[in-house]
Amino acid sequence: MSRLFSEGITLTVFELALRSMRQNVKHYYLYFFALIFTTGLYFIFATLQQDPAVQERTGSSAEFSAAFQVAGILLIVIAAIFTVYANRIFLKRRSRELGLYQLIGLSKGWVVRYLIIENIVLGLSALILGIASGALLSRLFLMILLRLIGLDEVVGLSFSIPATIQTALVFLMVIGLTSFQMAATVYRSTLLNLFQADREQDYPSQPRALVAAVCALLGIALIGYGYWLSDRMINQLLFLNMLLVLASTILGTYLLYRVTIGWILYRVRKHKNGHLGLTNSLSLAPLMHRMKDSAGSLTLITVLSAMTITLVASAYSMYYSVERDARWALPYDYLFENNEQAALSFQADLERQGLAFEQGRIDAIRLVGNVYGDLNNAEGTTRRLLLLPAEQLQHIGDEVPIPPYGEVVYYNARAIVEGLEEIGEEIQFAGNEASYRLTDLAVSNLVNYNVSGIQLLASEATIQAISEQAEIDSEIETVRFDTFQMEDWEGLEQSSTIFATYVADDPFWPDFYSEYKTGLQIFGLLIFIAAFLGLAFLISTGSILYFKQMTEAEQERQSFKTLRQLGFDTGMIMRGIIRKQAFVFLIPLVIGILHAIFAVKAASILVISDITVPTVIAMTAYAGIYFIFAILTIGYYRNIVRRAMS
Amino acid sequence: MTETKSRDTVLQTRNLQKSYGTKGNTQQVLKGIDLHVARQEFVGIMGPSGSGKTTLLNVLATIDRATDGSITMEGSDISGLKDKELAAFRRNHLGFIFQDYNLLDTLTVKENILLPVSLNKMSKRAAEKEFHEIAGVLGIEELANKYPHEISGGQKQRTAAGRALIHLPSIIFADEPTGALDSKSASSLLGTMEDINRKRDVTIIMVTHDPVASSYCNRVVFLKDGKVYSELYRGDKTRQAFFKEIMDVQAVLGGDHVDSL
Repeated sequence: MSRLFSEGITLTVFELALRSMRQNVKHYYLYFFALIFTTGLYFIFATLQQDPAVQERTGSSAEFSAAFQVAGILLIVIAAIFTVYANRIFLKRRSRELGLYQLIGLSKGWVVRYLIIENIVLGLSALILGIASGALLSRLFLMILLRLIGLDEVVGLSFSIPATIQTALVFLMVIGLTSFQMAATVYRSTLLNLFQADREQDYPSQPRALVAAVCALLGIALIGYGYWLSDRMINQLLFLNMLLVLASTILGTYLLYRVTIGWILYRVRKHKNGHLGLTNSLSLAPLMHRMKDSAGSLTLITVLSAMTITLVASAYSMYYSVERDARWALPYDYLFENNEQAALSFQADLERQGLAFEQGRIDAIRLVGNVYGDLNNAEGTTRRLLLLPAEQLQHIGDEVPIPPYGEVVYYNARAIVEGLEEIGEEIQFAGNEASYRLTDLAVSNLVNYNVSGIQLLASEATIQAISEQAEIDSEIETVRFDTFQMEDWEGLEQSSTIFATYVADDPFWPDFYSEYKTGLQIFGLLIFIAAFLGLAFLISTGSILYFKQMTEAEQERQSFKTLRQLGFDTGMIMRGIIRKQAFVFLIPLVIGILHAIFAVKAASILVISDITVPTVIAMTAYAGIYFIFAILTIGYYRNIVRRAMS
Repeated sequence: MTETKSRDTVLQTRNLQKSYGTKGNTQQVLKGIDLHVARQEFVGIMGPSGSGKTTLLNVLATIDRATDGSITMEGSDISGLKDKELAAFRRNHLGFIFQDYNLLDTLTVKENILLPVSLNKMSKRAAEKEFHEIAGVLGIEELANKYPHEISGGQKQRTAAGRALIHLPSIIFADEPTGALDSKSASSLLGTMEDINRKRDVTIIMVTHDPVASSYCNRVVFLKDGKVYSELYRGDKTRQAFFKEIMDVQAVLGGDHVDSL
């Protein structure tokens, strides 16, 4: 049975598979391309993971290698889900062909063998092409990575054998998985449903008013609850809260697609009372027709989009805010505490190098005090406090207000991150009878964050009074700060190495420039991994939508013929199709972005700076690439319509 | 070409020819057909398979283009029109009923029927009124909100007929409308078509290979090898008598049973 005779030529299964592939190339070129793309992406990732230069940078930190590992696993999961999904669509599209083979008497075993040969040839060529294109592009990606983490050195990147083996193993697994899926599909399906597969549709039924209304509201309520909780999940139950947010949002999204949107469309359609018009007939009606079937995949796409946008937007925000965050934490480039000698020597070094800088001096006091009025603690909490004179800060260029006598202002750049709301109202300093009013909380630092003590701003007169009133035996430490502010980036870079020699014995005495560089490296790697995963997510979601629409376009082919006979032209039909595509692509994108906004908001506590700008940039980039798929889909539809019209 | 349209002429063809294939390997399907259809006529086109009846219908219905010759419908020369103008012409003047219904699965009966109206100048009120009238005649009013998969073949064909009528076309083309129906649904549909032809100001041109179906017509045109072979007029004859005559011509023509193979 494994041989077919055609025009006197003996065809083996293998030859037939090759021949059919050549003919079907236009059907699965996108599937093939997506396979190549995922393989290539994974290969680049594996190459970077195996690269000694990258390993050297990242090996020092456990978080880095963990991030790489997790990202690698995620990438495999995406590749697997995507290939299995695409494979399912292509099997369904070819079910008539598979039925035909069985109808002429070929066994299921033969069909499975045929499919698997085809799959292996396809998979292996994608693997080879993917690795080849990955090898060509990995240097580019390495350069992007190094630029992102602020390293200019050129690293030689050779073709990595371990990366090749890793990629080959992963994708052989994927090929195995899809082959198994093919076998299972063929053995499970009967001839009859193979022939009816392309006619399979679900018909819109009249939703039962009460159930629909309840489910519709429940969907919205669940999403609302998820959003609400996402803002309040920082407590001991963080992990549970996160799961709860995810579960309620995803379930809510599903209900939204399955019931709410269907219900709204149903109302609109009912209101039209049969006068649907061509555009609605080609958008509203088919959408409703496939809502049940689509709810699952639309939910998947929405969740994937939301995840991708959150990932990319958060990572980009962090990368984007590195400089500002470092500046907020360390308002002075260099700071010496009670070390006039070192400051003088450093100053001399800078002058010798001919670097331009500004120097300043602050005399502050550090003492212990009690803060009252904090709701969490009526008894008052004892803390180490650092009192800084506003006049002196103003003198060296910090534009702080001068609080009135007897009042102090609390400064903390991490106030929002730490969730500080109640700061207390009253402070009593050690050895002082009088208490002082704590009037305000300002979200910034007065001196670098590594300086010990809570930073409080007061007028010189207030500080004077506190020191004078203090009992003799109470510990008041006078602190002298010498500050240095460099004029330009070049100066910063050079002076940073000089400064390092002064603090060599103190591992925790950061300067602005090295703090900035470290941040750039961490978040550069993070944005790289995020963008990498994001691209993989995006390609899979876009392709899933594209494949789905391709299948629907094939099913609607007859409708286009009918419409042509009724006297509608291509332009009129395309208007309806474009409206449908707008729905299909826009709804998941809009809901995904909405989800992502709340997720990013929840994640934004990790960053001090405002992240609106980077978030908007990341979302725009995502939407831009996403719409390429919408345009591709519309192009595919246009072809189908044109062909049906002639 | 001079317009020789008499008051009662809806459709006229002169030396209509159609051939398929590329140079050197052409096959002529229509070999010069002259046809004259008067307003409100119900014309049947019969002929053995391969005689070109479906090709003729497609060319007349502006779905396919003639290779040579002219078609004049409602006073305009169709052969000179561009694709877009043809589409507009179909939209405004023609209605279609097909063997396999060609309803849109995603639309209800009412939505299917009202589809051609969406680009016409007809107001929603007028369309609604027209729908009720037509659905009443066709006996499908209570099916208005059903989907095609929920109704029978006969009901689907009635829906298709409704769609062909809604925009008040002057000519309806029917391609084997009863081909997929059982004989009871078929005769019921044909009776309705006869009724509509008489009561509404509409001309029907129907291709069929079924002598029973063509016995409902006023006139039957027989094609053979791409040419008009003969014509039969019903006149005042009963349907049964007309049916016998058709059978006789068919016996002479022969070859029709190839269709059923």
